[in-house]
Amino acid sequence: MSRSSHAAVARPATTERTVTAVVGTLALLAGLLALVVGAGWLGADRATRPVADPVAVDWLGGSGVLGRLLAVLLGLVLLVLGVRWALRASRPEHHPDVEFDDAEGELRVSARAVTEAVQDDARGIDGVSRARVTLVGSQERPALRLLLALRRGTDIRMVWSALENRVLARARDALGLERLPAAVHLELDAAERHRVR
Amino acid sequence: MRALIRILTTLIGVAVAVVGALTVIEVLWAWWRPASAPLWIPWPQWLDQASTLTWQGTGPRVTAALVALAGLLLVLLSAAARRHHLALHDPAPDVTVTTSSRSLARVVGHRVRAETGVRSASVTATRAHVTVRAAAAPTDGDDTLRARLLEIVRDLVDDLPLREKPRVTVTIDSSRERRERHPEPSGSRPAAPGLRPGS
Repeated sequence: MSRSSHAAVARPATTERTVTAVVGTLALLAGLLALVVGAGWLGADRATRPVADPVAVDWLGGSGVLGRLLAVLLGLVLLVLGVRWALRASRPEHHPDVEFDDAEGELRVSARAVTEAVQDDARGIDGVSRARVTLVGSQERPALRLLLALRRGTDIRMVWSALENRVLARARDALGLERLPAAVHLELDAAERHRVR
Repeated sequence: MRALIRILTTLIGVAVAVVGALTVIEVLWAWWRPASAPLWIPWPQWLDQASTLTWQGTGPRVTAALVALAGLLLVLLSAAARRHHLALHDPAPDVTVTTSSRSLARVVGHRVRAETGVRSASVTATRAHVTVRAAAAPTDGDDTLRARLLEIVRDLVDDLPLREKPRVTVTIDSSRERRERHPEPSGSRPAAPGLRPGS
């Protein structure tokens, strides 16, 4: 399996999942620890101590410049991390334009133009009722993501060969790319879009 | 689920950033002008309040339980946001093909319902397992229906170029069959209960 075509299957959500898992785990552990302390399993006297323990408060207050600097540093780290996570998660997926050189110089093809051409080709395959194509990845290493809905009874292998030999080969040729990884998602036995209300 | 995790991460990010910014501002302000602290957040009051509450108290315990629960929920959501695609064999080196469990259920469901002797069927499909629940037609006293359906579905699934072959289970809903032989006076059941995608 090629890693780049596998990566194009869906927009990656690794960062988002990691952030959620880490924050969730921290909250779970902190909550459980507080419950354990409150239940007196770490000593009955601990359960009756105030939440803002005077010992800890005094220690923090008496720590002087170092404590304050650490608090400011912690705040800055949280600020930077939070802004990065929020920006990363809320940004729409990047659809790169494709650039290639020809005799007259450089030509830039928009992601939209590429996907519309491939989409038209894909719709021409026998048995394909719907096709949606997006260009993903980076400008240096673009990849195609195709969503194809197949009519009932369509032979998947026929679609594969048509896809590989006609659609993808043409896309590579047209863009002058040696490699254009593609992730294809097939909806099998899909109903035609005729909706009666 | 993946959209939800994106929204959650945005919210968590904003919350973490706000907490960080307020920490920096309050600490610097209290350092620079201890007399006029706090600036915006009444943290000295919070501190006073927290020093009167014990770990044993109801408030801290309820808060701790809620925090733990929210954490657990986040962990579960993060785990559920993985890719649910079914991988098919790659037709070419640079091409990855996937389908959905819903598609697999649909294909199997259509095939099973087209079979004679089947009144209705529901199919659940996951990456590893296809479960067919079929109700036999009332007139059909066919004892071989289960074996026949199992064979058909196995062939169908084997024929799909799935990378991981799911196990096939077929159950014939006999209670429905019995009821159908002694029909109740009222009520009509739908012909097909529909598809239940696995994930």
